[in-house]
Amino acid sequence: MWKWVKALDRVLRGEATRLPELSEETIQIPAVGLSAVVVGLGMVYGACMGCFALVNRQELADRFGQLLASTVKVPALFILTLLVTFPSLYVFNALVGTRLTLRAMLRLLVASLAVNLAVLASLGPIVAFFSISATKAGYGFMVLLNVLVFALSGALFLTFLLQTLHRLSIARRGPAPSLSPVTGPDVPEGPHPPSDLVPPPPSVPSPYEPRAERPVEVELVEEPGALDQIEGYVLGRHVKKVFGCWVVVFGLVGAQMGWVLRPFVGSPGTPFQWFRARESNFFEAVLETMRNLF
Amino acid sequence: MTSFLLRADDVLRQRPWTTESAHAASALRHLVANIVLFGMAYGAVMGCFGGILGGRVQQVVYSALKVPLLLLATFLVGFCSFFVLNTLFGLRRDFAQAVRALLATQAGLAIILASLAPFTALWYASSADYAAAVRFNLLMFAVASLGAQGLLRGYYRPLIRRNRRHRWMLWTWIVIYAFVGIQMAWGLRPFVGAPGARVQFFRAGAWENAYVEAFAVVARLLAGMLTS
Repeated sequence: MWKWVKALDRVLRGEATRLPELSEETIQIPAVGLSAVVVGLGMVYGACMGCFALVNRQELADRFGQLLASTVKVPALFILTLLVTFPSLYVFNALVGTRLTLRAMLRLLVASLAVNLAVLASLGPIVAFFSISATKAGYGFMVLLNVLVFALSGALFLTFLLQTLHRLSIARRGPAPSLSPVTGPDVPEGPHPPSDLVPPPPSVPSPYEPRAERPVEVELVEEPGALDQIEGYVLGRHVKKVFGCWVVVFGLVGAQMGWVLRPFVGSPGTPFQWFRARESNFFEAVLETMRNLF
Repeated sequence: MTSFLLRADDVLRQRPWTTESAHAASALRHLVANIVLFGMAYGAVMGCFGGILGGRVQQVVYSALKVPLLLLATFLVGFCSFFVLNTLFGLRRDFAQAVRALLATQAGLAIILASLAPFTALWYASSADYAAAVRFNLLMFAVASLGAQGLLRGYYRPLIRRNRRHRWMLWTWIVIYAFVGIQMAWGLRPFVGAPGARVQFFRAGAWENAYVEAFAVVARLLAGMLTS
């Protein structure tokens, strides 16, 4: 168990996704163990979300029913989204021509989800605090706060995903940029150009070249963090394509999956239910809540 | 006592021991003690509005407990997210120092507040208007927060010099702290204690949402302006 938490820590610190660690074209993490941590973190956040019902419902069964439902539904949301999107993501990925294996992709997604859920769970205490201090009138606020928290963690999830995809493509191609100077015009244009690896053109003069008269800035960044772009490389074409596709698929499926699994917070006016009737969609509902907030 | 005050002075002058790892344990103890004691000092003065005789002394005690509670609970609620975000943005190595900087700032805030307590006392002595007293206290908190901001920048300067990303983390923390702190202060009311009202630790029904209430007030004002 502790080993898995350590693995999560390595992912968050960016140790698991440094270039030397990716030499086998996959992230070296215990995928099953990390998935268990992801589920645990999801349950923590779900419980924080369910605190609103705990305070604002009359019946004991309703209170704990909603708390239990939220605790189960948050991890379910992420796992179901992964299950629904994985096949198409993999197929598209293969079509575009990247060489991520099935296992590498699964690990990449588990690591990214771990980042997402860690951020989500870390914001849990704030959500729980606002939940216990909310009254029935604060329902709209709680829904929007939760949407905001999910959006924030989702943004970091996508940043991690993008940077790790990028690093995986660099790791596949070879060592650091200084050792492989693939210069622009001389690269032969074959049927499969090395488009994942595009070092910046060396001919561009740097405005910071004459350093002598400038005071040297002391900035000690030895190792890149989990969200840093590796210096000296720009994003390749494949990476951009795959990532763009994933953003759209994850965004739409994730939001709608959340909508299908509702209620998470539980409107104080309605009795507890595991699922609501099928109606409308996520984006319409957020706009409606904003309109009715106060 | 003198050494305690001298060390509090060190916090304001940003002496190295407050954030150096060599003295971490004793510095943390000292900073938390500062937050509690100076916070209590201001809280006690804050709760004096309704008088200190009879049952009113309870309000003084409650307010004295609530000011450090407000500072420390807000810190704890925001702490988890600050930790994970720091780790994720590659700043974990400096995290301990960042936390000491935040705690030192909180201690500074409590000290500044305590130094403003005489003003509050004078205000109470010169006006019996409850709403004005609440507003004056808000002003004192605003002044102390501004002072603490300057302190926070000072404490964060070496970190920012080491990695510029710390500046973003600093702003993230300020946003989280203000967001949680405003609701925490709202929930922990009454701090001042209206003279006629029953003395209580939490006001019944006080745990409403500060932001929803504030929005409602603004909406009412706007509606009033439009209809008049």
